[in-house]
Amino acid sequence: MATVQLSEAEKVYVLHGIRDDLRVDGRSCEDYRHVEIETDVVSNTDGSAKVTLGHTAVLVGVKAEMAKPRPAAPEEGYLEFFVDCSANATPKFEGRGGEELGMELTNTLYRVFNNKHSVDLGSLCISPGEHCWLLYVDVLLLQCDGNLYDAISIGIKAALFNTRIPKVLISEGEEGGTEIELSDDPYDCVRLAVDNVPCMVTLCKVGPRYVVDATLQEKACSVASLIMAVTPAGTCTCMRKVGGGSLDPESVFEMTEAGKRVGKSLHGPLVALLSQEESLGKKRQKVGFLG
Amino acid sequence: MLRSKTFVKKTRSGGIRKIVREHYLRDDIWCGSELCTECKQESTVLLKDACIESSLCTFPHYLIPDTNVVLHQIDVLEDPQLRNVIILQTVLQEVRHRSAPVYKRLKDLIHEQEKHVYTFTNEHHRETYVEREPGESANDRNDRAIRVAVDWYNHHLENTESDGLKVVLITNDQGNKEKAEEGGLLVYKCEEYVKSLLANPELVDRLALTNDNKNDISSSKVLFPEHFPLARIQAGIKGGTFLQGTYRASRDNYLEATVLLQGLQNLNRAIHQDVVAVQLLPREQWVAPSSIVLQDEREAKDEETTEEEEKEQAMKNIADDAARKPTGRVVGIIKRNWRPFCGMLNSSLIKESTRHLFTPADRRVPRIRIETRQASSLADQRIMVAIDGWPRHSRYPNGHFVRSLGAAGDKETETEVLLLEHDVPHQDFSQAVLSFLPKMPWSITPEDRAVGVHIADVSHFIRPGNAMDLEASNRGTTVYLCGRLQSLFATLQCGEACFLFVINSKASLTYAEAQLRIDDATMNDDVTSSLRGLNKLAKILKRRRIEKGALTLSSLEVRFHIDSETHDPIDVHTKELMETNSMVEEFMLLANISVAQKIYDEFSECALLRKHPAPPPSNYEILSKAAKSKGLAIHTDSAKALADSLDVAKVDGFPYFNTLLRVLATRCMMQAVYFCSGMDSDFHHYGLASPIYTHFTSPIRRYSDIVVHRLLAVAIGADGTYPDLTDKHKLSLFFKSRGLLNEEGFILFVRKNAIIVLIPKFGLEGTVFFDGKDKTGPKLVFDEEGPTLMVEQHTFKIFDKVKVTISLDDSNIQHQKIRMSLVEPVIPGVSVPVPEVGPLSKKPKLDR
Repeated sequence: MATVQLSEAEKVYVLHGIRDDLRVDGRSCEDYRHVEIETDVVSNTDGSAKVTLGHTAVLVGVKAEMAKPRPAAPEEGYLEFFVDCSANATPKFEGRGGEELGMELTNTLYRVFNNKHSVDLGSLCISPGEHCWLLYVDVLLLQCDGNLYDAISIGIKAALFNTRIPKVLISEGEEGGTEIELSDDPYDCVRLAVDNVPCMVTLCKVGPRYVVDATLQEKACSVASLIMAVTPAGTCTCMRKVGGGSLDPESVFEMTEAGKRVGKSLHGPLVALLSQEESLGKKRQKVGFLG
Repeated sequence: MLRSKTFVKKTRSGGIRKIVREHYLRDDIWCGSELCTECKQESTVLLKDACIESSLCTFPHYLIPDTNVVLHQIDVLEDPQLRNVIILQTVLQEVRHRSAPVYKRLKDLIHEQEKHVYTFTNEHHRETYVEREPGESANDRNDRAIRVAVDWYNHHLENTESDGLKVVLITNDQGNKEKAEEGGLLVYKCEEYVKSLLANPELVDRLALTNDNKNDISSSKVLFPEHFPLARIQAGIKGGTFLQGTYRASRDNYLEATVLLQGLQNLNRAIHQDVVAVQLLPREQWVAPSSIVLQDEREAKDEETTEEEEKEQAMKNIADDAARKPTGRVVGIIKRNWRPFCGMLNSSLIKESTRHLFTPADRRVPRIRIETRQASSLADQRIMVAIDGWPRHSRYPNGHFVRSLGAAGDKETETEVLLLEHDVPHQDFSQAVLSFLPKMPWSITPEDRAVGVHIADVSHFIRPGNAMDLEASNRGTTVYLCGRLQSLFATLQCGEACFLFVINSKASLTYAEAQLRIDDATMNDDVTSSLRGLNKLAKILKRRRIEKGALTLSSLEVRFHIDSETHDPIDVHTKELMETNSMVEEFMLLANISVAQKIYDEFSECALLRKHPAPPPSNYEILSKAAKSKGLAIHTDSAKALADSLDVAKVDGFPYFNTLLRVLATRCMMQAVYFCSGMDSDFHHYGLASPIYTHFTSPIRRYSDIVVHRLLAVAIGADGTYPDLTDKHKLSLFFKSRGLLNEEGFILFVRKNAIIVLIPKFGLEGTVFFDGKDKTGPKLVFDEEGPTLMVEQHTFKIFDKVKVTISLDDSNIQHQKIRMSLVEPVIPGVSVPVPEVGPLSKKPKLDR
């Protein structure tokens, strides 16, 4: 992960600020930075979203493809993740530099999203045991300014919200085989329910307190962080501790409670924003990557 | 302005892919009208005074047809009267997608300057581009795009100094018409509009019949089972319940095709050459191919199903199980392969009626019902008709008149019909082609002479890829017709450059002249003695070839004597083969084989060779059966065995038997094919008993030879012939002038109700029917084993000698044919009296 070098004096300044619930950029400990979301930015995907969180920028694309359901879950579709750490984000990612981070992020995404509690995998099934939709979720890191997990999860939720899967009709062939027919109307498609899709909240332990949405400087002051996946109902579906420092049980409990609170309050505005954007339809002014 | 077009597609492997295309809209697409002052166009297509005399549109107007009008009424659009037509890009694209032949015709139409047809690229015009809306089908979107374009034109031309010029939309779609009227557009149905053209009543005939008036043209009785929808057919073919294939009608029996489909119901509206889906019937319903020769001879009445059923009943002969073949029924048509058909009009019995039946020249195609007001003038003409559709309750398909080819029986017309029916390209050579002709006089640089076979290297002139080459590769071969040579290359080539005038020739001899020199013992000059030497060599070559097992087969070739002034055929002979013919043939074979070996050595992967596969033993069945009837055995184990047993198969007092047997043997053979040496490992030429063979010696006639020439040129430097294109037609012209003839012939095949007779003198085959049109025919007993046919007391066997009269049956003018009737043996009620050969109107000049 991209890091910055801080002097001891700077560290003390950051630490003291956080202790007084006033961070360097003026936020309080449980505040996010400015978030911008735009969906349907890549026309040749089935769903896409671009999210900027402070200076962190990620692009998420979802492509649907027909596949055979996994033997363990014949009545479900599934998701495949790939995180590409572009060298645009930081020079460190050049060559194979971003591979390790990408792998780590990808593994977390599998754990968080690829289960029927998070995404309605049952609705991705076309015919049990025969055909299902496989969603390729590709994440591209455009810029790194801390808190990648949160930005990526917001991007994935927005992209899944935007995803439109072509409608297919299954007709019984005469000999028992199934025939798949595609509707010839491009507007005739299925949408995915994103009600239960969780968002990830990263809490960084800085000194005695913890902050959400840490910047790179704050991250440099932190010894350990806790990554949680929280559903709109406030349930924590997944938790992971990263960093070398230790966390005592009391602060873990405190941080979990805070994470749930923050995560729960994140979903409402996000879904409202996405619905509002969609209601604009074709009148929406596209910003894209040059705006 | 950039837009993107998005659509979802199912890929071949069954996946589903979203495809996005960029689509640029422009504002510099001009309207193409002479009137327009706004558009900065360099040249205009549409005229200022666009006047067609129409009772509906009394003002000048431009026409915009929609896709279905173009697809179905292209014959009308092609009329020179209809000018100032705007073809929208939407329409052009849809036509291209749905029918390649119509698309080509439309493109030709657009290029024709006289027609003033303008293509407006509305899909790229900023103001006429429409995006598909949710819930709108692709067709609705296209219709809307057309309406938007019409609207745009109306507004665009409104401001100009036009005297009320309007743009008229022509559509046959009721929904589209209503919506266009709502939008204030001027819209007519194609029929309405064409009928309003006062000056051109004949155009109405060309209108294709649309669904609306189908009902009143035929009885409401449903005759055919419904076709399955395409999706179900595809599923069935995939699943194996249905079979897919090209429907080839049987020549002899219009209710039977190949061996699979029998009966009108089972054929289910399939027309020769269509790609159809077939469902096999259960085994107990399988039938044997019938031996009945059946032709649709009925009068133009509709309600004759009873008779039809009787005929079908007659076909379902009580065949033993062995003879039964898989039988099926057509469940759907995958692809229609309709083309315009040539033929004759069969005038309706009711004088005032405008509906008539049309009988195509090709017997495999059913009769077509057309609507015309000019029946009386078309009655004795050859005409061309296109099929529009075949509704379920109609006995015949519906069609419309396209054009007249000329008077029936006229040589020009008949030749045209032949060329069209066999799809022989016969347009005159274009300027582009002619520009590649060498300038005359042309000479080659002198070289040392060598003894050998000299073939003019036509490929020297025909460079790959030039216009003449493309034209020739399209034509493939030269087609010889009565008084007309449909040649492969432009004339100058054939006439002058190709024949070896440039070589210092000692003597130029015809086959007959050379033969005379060889035979005449008194001649001993250089030329003659070298001819004798060549002949000797040729004989050695031939003997070697025959020892290896080459076959001498027979197929009769006839030669016409043409009147030098009128170019009408006046006499006909079987072509005689002289020793010199055989001599030249030997050397040609030798040249071909040597060249084949040379190009194969040099290009082992890509040499163009010709092979003749050995026929499967089952092919010889008919030959063995025939020989057995005369007590002879034919060995077919190898080519050599076959050649030997054919040589000894002689019957005393029947010298022609051997030739007949060879004619039959020819029919057992496989078709020889061209192939590329890299594709196959078996190069053997069965008929010539040569391990390798190609075509090299006739570059003027065959395109394949040109290719071989090119290969050979680099080394040192399909069967595309038309087997059905025989001279039968010329014969009918010949017999027309000669009247009745009384000739001797041999029975070639015995059928259940007829015998097929070969007349050696003319190399002509014909059918003698025994069951008359009236139901009181003679008693017929057919024995399949022989096969023999007993008519009353007389039994016909294969190879029997009979005497027949030949006449041209023109009582039935829509299908003139050569008719044979039996003269000898005399069977009361069947045979006809010997006719008196009428005096000829003109004394024939033999051989010019």
